[in-house]
Amino acid sequence: MNIEPSDLIVGLLMTAFGLIGLILASGAYDNEMYVFGLSLFGFACVFVAGLVRRHFDRLDAARAASDRHV
Amino acid sequence: MSDHALPMSRAAPDYNEAVVKKFIIATVFWAIVAFLVGVYIATELAWPQFNLGLSFINFGRLRPVHTSAAIFAFGGSALLGTSFYVVQRTCRARLFGGEALANFVFWGYQFFIVMAALSYVIGFSQSQEYAEPEWHLDVWLTIVWVAYAVIFIGTLMKREEPHIYVANWFYLAFILTIAVLHIGNNLAIPISLYSAKSYSVASGVQNAMIQWWYGHNAVGFFLTAGFLGMMYYFIPKAANRPIYSYRLSVVHFWSLIFMYIWAGPHHLHWTALPDWTQTLGMAFSIMLWMPSWGGMINGLMTLSGAWDKLRTDPGLRFSVTAVGFYGMATFEGPVMSIRDVNALSHYTDWGIGHVHSGALGWVAFISFGAIYYLVPVLWKRSGLYSARLASWHYWIATLGIVFYITSMWVAGIMQGLMWRAYDQFGFLQYSFAESVVAVHPYYVIRLLGGLMFLTGALIMVYNLIKTVHSPETERDVALPTAVAVAGE
Repeated sequence: MNIEPSDLIVGLLMTAFGLIGLILASGAYDNEMYVFGLSLFGFACVFVAGLVRRHFDRLDAARAASDRHV
Repeated sequence: MSDHALPMSRAAPDYNEAVVKKFIIATVFWAIVAFLVGVYIATELAWPQFNLGLSFINFGRLRPVHTSAAIFAFGGSALLGTSFYVVQRTCRARLFGGEALANFVFWGYQFFIVMAALSYVIGFSQSQEYAEPEWHLDVWLTIVWVAYAVIFIGTLMKREEPHIYVANWFYLAFILTIAVLHIGNNLAIPISLYSAKSYSVASGVQNAMIQWWYGHNAVGFFLTAGFLGMMYYFIPKAANRPIYSYRLSVVHFWSLIFMYIWAGPHHLHWTALPDWTQTLGMAFSIMLWMPSWGGMINGLMTLSGAWDKLRTDPGLRFSVTAVGFYGMATFEGPVMSIRDVNALSHYTDWGIGHVHSGALGWVAFISFGAIYYLVPVLWKRSGLYSARLASWHYWIATLGIVFYITSMWVAGIMQGLMWRAYDQFGFLQYSFAESVVAVHPYYVIRLLGGLMFLTGALIMVYNLIKTVHSPETERDVALPTAVAVAGE
């Protein structure tokens, strides 16, 4: 898959943060923790989706560049 | 330090400018938010009806939104963005950790700012000045900050230049000390992992001491050391001159970071804090004159032989005026830290005036100077869309600051004098409400000053958008090297 180490490490960390957010929201005693937990989960989802998008954009760009050289 | 005429064998690396651009956009966005909220709460102070009976926009909740937006959102985005730009250029190395880690720092920091602001307006706060976010947000900021430190230090370690330029020393002091201060001041035991509320580890006067060790050094290392890093890079670049004295910059650095960390107790004069601790804070505050003015002289004298550029480069004019305000605010601060002066100035609007001469005159102006320099460079434009508009911004904002700080000086000294006035029978001469009525006109003048500063910033936003999008600022297409050589 040729994944960049930085993408992999940050992606795994963000996945963990997203899960922590869900856990915090599920047991929240107050509005603040509920809002924070859900927001952290949403933020992690969007960030990881961005990592995936940029990964495939890079692959497409590399493929297009190699096609031009042929 | 010139970007031009590099030998072919040392072509510039592929710098990560995308994250710097994002931070610059965030800086401009948060500047408008911070100034707008500031103007609104100034209106609330002058006419309390503007609280509108709504809890989430009352002064107590919006005030930390204003301070956090100004310091951490606007100032922080400017510092993180420029530090990423400066460390890459001066080390001739791309940011360490890859694009994903840099993006995590950008988005993670913005997430912290938004969540903190949201928590204030829904009524959650630790009630510690400049450290209002609850424990879970503190933990999140620590994670983001560690990632930021890893990128910055990693980039320094893989540098291709033998020397670490002095601006990076200041940025590094800012990064490391803020980490220590943030963790030290926010040590707390949560009621539960599922609750936002917590108990601070320290209590009573120890808590106050730690809070102001943090609070004053937030000023010293966030609002001073970091922005001095900005000064040491962008003033020489914009003036196209070397620093006046590199040796002075090194003396400035070590003396500033050694002395600042002791000055916090001057925020707690005439309290339960032991007298010797108050005297220690006062003594170190007065000693701070020396490095502060050394830095100011170094910044101003860098213009030697290039003062004419102030006429044509409004960005540089912002930077140099900022250094002037830095000198003024760092003169006033030690004066206010003297215990007998503090007896008059503390708890009055003089403090508000002092803070804003630093925040508007130094922090905002040095950031505006860097932004005016960076936007054409990062977006590869020939220059600013309009130097005239930047000039308008400069004069409106400067006049706004003058209105702001002079009104607060007058209001503050008047408050201090009214609160300590006795009649011939030994009774207080004025009630507190009478001092509130007396300062009302000055609150209106302060609001006017804030409005002017906001207006100037809006002019900057228009100018920057036009700089990026207008066909007038497009760079001429460069001739291929071979053609250019053939034409010589």
